[in-house]
Amino acid sequence: MTEPTPALQIRALSKVFALREGALEVLRDITLTVDPGEFVTIVGASGCGKSTLLRLILGLDRDFRGEIRVDGVPVTGPAADRAIVFQDHRLLPWLTAEANVAAALLNSPLDAETRAREVREHLDLVGLSKFAKAWPRQLSGGMAQRVAIARALVGRPRFLLLDEPLGALDALTRLRMQEELKRIVAHEGATALLVTHDVDEAVYLGHRVVVMQPHPGRIATILEVPPEARADRSSPAFVALRDRILGLLGVGAIEALAV
Amino acid sequence: MTLIHSSPAPVPFAPRTARALVQSLAPLGALSGQILLGLSFPLALLALWSLGAARGWVPPQILPAPSVVWQSFLDLCADGSLALHTNASLIRVAEGFALGATVGLVFGAAVGLVPALRAWVWPPVQAATRVNVLAWMPLLTLFLGIDEALKVVVIGWSVSIPVILATARAVGDVPATLRELGAVLNLTRAQRLRLIVLPQALPQIATGLREGLANAWQSLVIVELFASFEGLGYLMTWGRQLFQLDLVLVAMAVIAVLGFSLDLSLRAVERWLQPWQTGAGHGR
Amino acid sequence: MAGDLATPRSRDLRPILSFVFVLILWDLAHRFALVDPRFLPAPLDILTRLISELSAGTILSDLAATLRRNLLGFLIGAAAGVSLGAVLGASRRIGQIVGPTVVAQRQTALFAWVPLLAMWFGGGDSGKIAFIALAAFQPTVINTWRGIALVPEPLRELAASLRFSQGQYLRHVALPAAAPQIFTGLHTALIYAWLATVGSELFMNITPGLGGRLSEGSQMFEMDLLFLAIAIFGAVGLIYNSLAEALEAQLLKGHRP
Ligand SMILES: Nc1ncnc2c1ncn2[C@@H]1O[C@H](COP(=O)(O)OP(=O)(O)OP(=O)(O)O)[C@@H](O)[C@H]1O
Ligand SMILES: [Mg+2]
Repeated sequence: MTEPTPALQIRALSKVFALREGALEVLRDITLTVDPGEFVTIVGASGCGKSTLLRLILGLDRDFRGEIRVDGVPVTGPAADRAIVFQDHRLLPWLTAEANVAAALLNSPLDAETRAREVREHLDLVGLSKFAKAWPRQLSGGMAQRVAIARALVGRPRFLLLDEPLGALDALTRLRMQEELKRIVAHEGATALLVTHDVDEAVYLGHRVVVMQPHPGRIATILEVPPEARADRSSPAFVALRDRILGLLGVGAIEALAV
Repeated sequence: MTLIHSSPAPVPFAPRTARALVQSLAPLGALSGQILLGLSFPLALLALWSLGAARGWVPPQILPAPSVVWQSFLDLCADGSLALHTNASLIRVAEGFALGATVGLVFGAAVGLVPALRAWVWPPVQAATRVNVLAWMPLLTLFLGIDEALKVVVIGWSVSIPVILATARAVGDVPATLRELGAVLNLTRAQRLRLIVLPQALPQIATGLREGLANAWQSLVIVELFASFEGLGYLMTWGRQLFQLDLVLVAMAVIAVLGFSLDLSLRAVERWLQPWQTGAGHGR
Repeated sequence: MAGDLATPRSRDLRPILSFVFVLILWDLAHRFALVDPRFLPAPLDILTRLISELSAGTILSDLAATLRRNLLGFLIGAAAGVSLGAVLGASRRIGQIVGPTVVAQRQTALFAWVPLLAMWFGGGDSGKIAFIALAAFQPTVINTWRGIALVPEPLRELAASLRFSQGQYLRHVALPAAAPQIFTGLHTALIYAWLATVGSELFMNITPGLGGRLSEGSQMFEMDLLFLAIAIFGAVGLIYNSLAEALEAQLLKGHRP
């Protein structure tokens, strides 16, 4: 009774796509609870429904079975307190980098001056102040992705959905952005759900790691990340957890689990 | 907790009534539901038109009642004049299309295959074709009079232009990969034409022909409005002179229906000619 | 259109030379009396006529009257086309109800509307402008509708995730995404409207304008005037086409991925 309302509560969630060739079951019986301020990462084979899960949580698709609640309220559609970084950066090609970020504030109550400052600060945060006036086609894949991250963060959402946000970045920028994400989520007290194919990233960022398995997409297991693993990438705890997850993602392990 | 979502959840923006309507049509299949929706608007217009005519909202010289138009349609059918005019128009379109398609295919292929023609003859011809046949019509009457010859030439002219363009381009720009294939297989020039150049050109040529037919129909109306004593365009001109809008509307409707069916049938021919494009094939 | 055919290679002078040859042949045919000048005027006759018409100012005032009608009709038709197209594209339901009628209307031969519009609006300026507007309306409405209705799903999702209103969606996502296709529609509309302008001047009442001069040349057997009018008709069409192409390239520059 005294426990706080979970930031996210998913219960017995199933998703089926009706295709011409028949029904395609993409998610089966997903149950997951995320506490406020928690950082949860999701790993799993390509096609196991990770992006689909994020789209359902955001409320882009309301055709599903089961229950999704954010702050105790069933999701009925996108809301200001939830932001997403799509797997493809999805910048509007006819808007500059700056205007793309500002687009997230079109419906915000802030005054114009504050908005402009927020946009500037967030472009600065992702290291792209010099490219504020650039068109998306003039940006590299990694730069475009960082603009998309700035766009998601600029509204200071309480819930962040991140679909492989660092996938196209070079190794160094990637490490820097991981630090930033971790810092921002902790600093703003936001709740984050991050999909990644990089197991190191999943362990380093997440309080918990959700391991999914495909056909249909299910949660294979959820692993707690010990604080010392989260703090230090070379700690034995980090290495052990990473190897365990890699094992789980390996073909033999998945088949063993599927029994 | 009884707040379990049932599937599918309601779509937020669709008005419930429209949704219910579509769902009640579900047994007919989604396609026929769409067709009914598409028909609802013209039917509503028709109803409004009838109502307006019955209440006398618009004077009959501006818009006669649908029943009057229908009656003139029946009259024109009964005394055979509609068949006469339609027949005259269709023959013109057929002759003009045949002329334009033949000239277009031959000239287009020549331009596409012979670089010298492309360089020396094509540019002035292209400049002339850029000017719509409509503007040439007053000139053509001086050479051809205002009888059948004028009509067939004007229609043929408008048909030939897209056919020439499509044929010349399709035959002239064989992709390098296919040209290399011809070389690798050691095909003779005739074999290359038959096995590579023509089949890969066919879709574009078919599109050109379909565009030509659309043009034929447009210029039929143009040339019949310009000068004629029979044909659907003449029927309209005549109705306008008599201030009989019902005749004008009947002729418009026939022109619309025939033009639409011509396009549909040419699309069907196009599919039949290129079974490899649809994937279904017809057993070859 | 056929750019590859028109310009086979850069620095290829043959296309230009071919025009010169045609002119020379044309002129020679006259000098050796191979053609009847009553049917085919010499190239120089047309130029002479142009100069006399220009100095009298007649052809310019005719052209001005024609262009005025043309632009007015085009603006009305294009504005109506873009607006209706945006509504059809933004609301799937309205698109399903009204769209088929618009498509069917497009299949009707354009000039079949001339007698009806002439009776409704009269054969004078308003009838002509109504017809020109209709010619411009058809391609604009269809292309705007298609362009907006076919905005890629990812962009719609983005708009939903940023909670854009319908208006914000149209302004920031749908219209820019559909811009290339809307321009295609406007480009076609410009050409059609020009055709309709001359057509309306030929088929409706005689009023000052290029089409009137065209009929005059034909009826009075003034071949130099007739050829001059045809050339002006072609030239304006060409200018419209190049203007539209240049404008399209300019406006869409930088706005494409
Ligand atoms: N709109 C859709 N219609 C039909 N099937 C879909 C749709 N979206 C996704 N799918 C299917 O759902 C499955 C899961 O897709 P999803 O994009 O969620 O995978 P993912 O785990 O994000 O993969 P990746 O790691 O490659 O991004 C795939 O088999 C895909 O084909
Ligand atoms: Mg994905």
